[in-house]
Amino acid sequence: MDLHTKLKILGAAAKYDVSCSSSGSSRRNRPGGLGNASLPGICHSWSDDGRCISLLKILFTNRCAFNCLYCVNRATADVPRATFTPDEVAQLTINFYKRNYIEGLFLSSAVYKNPNYTMELLITTVRKLRNEYHFNGYIHLKAIPGADPLLIAEAGKYVDRMSVNIELPSSQGLQLLAPQKNRDAIIKPMGFIHSKILQAREERKLYKNAPLFVPAGQTTQLIVGATPDNDLRILRLSESLYKRFSLKRVYYSAYVPVTQHPNLPAIASPPLMREHRLYQADWLLRFYGFKADELLDENQPLLDIEIDPKSAWALRNLHLFPVEVNRADYEMLLRVPGIGVRSAKRIIAARRYSSIDFETLKRFGVVLKRARHFITCRGKFYGERNINESALYQMLKPASTQQKAISSTGEQLTFSSLYPHVFQPEDVYTVITGEM
Amino acid sequence: MVYYIYDGSFEGLLTAIYEAYYRRETPEKILSSDNVQNSLFIKYVHINTDQEKAQRVYDAIVQKISPSAAKNALYAFLSEAQDAGTAIYRYLKLGWKMGKSVDLALAEPHVFRVHALRKKVSQEAGKMLGLVRFQLLKSGVYYAPIEPDFNILGIIAPHFKRRMPNQDWIIHDVKRKLAAFYSQGQYAIVPFEFKGALPLDDEEFDYQTLWKEYFQNIAIKSRINLRLQRQFMPVRYWKYLIETPGTQAKP
Repeated sequence: MDLHTKLKILGAAAKYDVSCSSSGSSRRNRPGGLGNASLPGICHSWSDDGRCISLLKILFTNRCAFNCLYCVNRATADVPRATFTPDEVAQLTINFYKRNYIEGLFLSSAVYKNPNYTMELLITTVRKLRNEYHFNGYIHLKAIPGADPLLIAEAGKYVDRMSVNIELPSSQGLQLLAPQKNRDAIIKPMGFIHSKILQAREERKLYKNAPLFVPAGQTTQLIVGATPDNDLRILRLSESLYKRFSLKRVYYSAYVPVTQHPNLPAIASPPLMREHRLYQADWLLRFYGFKADELLDENQPLLDIEIDPKSAWALRNLHLFPVEVNRADYEMLLRVPGIGVRSAKRIIAARRYSSIDFETLKRFGVVLKRARHFITCRGKFYGERNINESALYQMLKPASTQQKAISSTGEQLTFSSLYPHVFQPEDVYTVITGEM
Repeated sequence: MVYYIYDGSFEGLLTAIYEAYYRRETPEKILSSDNVQNSLFIKYVHINTDQEKAQRVYDAIVQKISPSAAKNALYAFLSEAQDAGTAIYRYLKLGWKMGKSVDLALAEPHVFRVHALRKKVSQEAGKMLGLVRFQLLKSGVYYAPIEPDFNILGIIAPHFKRRMPNQDWIIHDVKRKLAAFYSQGQYAIVPFEFKGALPLDDEEFDYQTLWKEYFQNIAIKSRINLRLQRQFMPVRYWKYLIETPGTQAKP
């Protein structure tokens, strides 16, 4: 089989792995070597689905011994199979890298024969790249669940980032859809990698030239919408992963129906909006100081599809608002819908020199459309007066869905739409929704 | 009203700032000679670039304000925006009064403008680090044409020097007719023009095809989102890519 066909098969087979980032490592080039890693990561292109292409993302082989129902490469699937050789992978990586197509290699694999055998193949490849081809660019390697810890420790010496896919948010889900994988085989290597990273970090404090171990940390990925697990469960899982293993990222991937089976849900298209809301909530956990239990609870275990999780939280906690932008502390500013990390930092920096007016907020990148309902600026409130939670909810919806709601139902003329001033906002709302 | 006109170089701008200080006048604007429109009521003062004066101003920025202020000024200058010269002048003037904390006074319009320009330029430079596409020529040199909005060649060249120290490469800013030539540990940015077909190496076609095929195959068909793709990678950057974005439709 020629290289073109192999790359087509194994590139396409790897596309359901979400992670593409090349950040977190500042590996330097060595004399005579090629490449280095860039700390913030670099995107080299964007494919037609809008996802960034940073690393050459390929499987080593798609000949799989496992039969996970949601996967295109499962053992019983009728797809063309291929396997690279370590040299082919290295040659491709080096030549793409020299032309600046990619930032490095993302090497994953199906479970070929058994986990240890596969892991050894992957190690041979990355070792070759580092030692024979003197490649110092970024390498992201998948740890195969069930592989021996010694092999994982060996692989960690050569790569920048490692990941073990958690695949499904609950062990019941795994049992149902991926019976050959179990939770322990996934969580254990994560814990192991985490402890090795901590160890290497301590050693590097003592000895400058102590060897690196997975300097860009580890990530994981889980599929959303293939099992009935709710968002609260997923967010709690992510939260504990960030806490226990200091994961860099948890990637969520909307379940793309690739096959039909009684254990799989029948859906027409991937739940992209749900995935998007989960990412927003994930950011709130990592950068905005939120906790999973603040965003959702047992009575309301799903994220609102219509509005973003931060706005939803603010609406449930209207008693905390409005806050004065010139006085509120950083943590509170971060919790205002429409103010992000960057604008909050700008506000904090600028107000040490002069008080901030409304115009300046606009220039700082604050999304006033949302923020104006929750802030005062020099004591003045810029939002609507006499407004309640449900009316505010309507205003915070993105314009496109507001319009869609109108165009899909057609505009119903009501007494209140002809004489709006007669009605208070809450009355208007009940007329719109029909709930009295 | 007085306008200062400089020759379009960074040193020229710094000389103009030097002159403004020592002549004890406050020019309304400092403009590059390319975007001057004559007006009857304005006195135009042409500034002759002087390396020594420019160096003194530069040192004063680094020592009396901060090294990052010097970077802000340089990046804002590279944006080639019409008001860049004036904004930098006002920004630095305030900087010499406030010291390094000038970068926190974002409520000042000129400080904000310089920061905004700096951000635009460094964002494009960052994007370009990924979008440069080298092609291997018969002579063994890797050649990459680019057409950035801003004059970022000098910002991105050191990155490639660190990354690809053992291959000879050329990055050619086609629009500005400038090119960075790198060989054996050193690079130089010089005026350069090139027209006609590139003498490509034989193996180049093979890798270009491999990359194109890979690019087509990596997209998930049920998630095609060309709008998102264009948001990240505007169409004006597509010209020198090897791959062809935006060809697939949602099934």
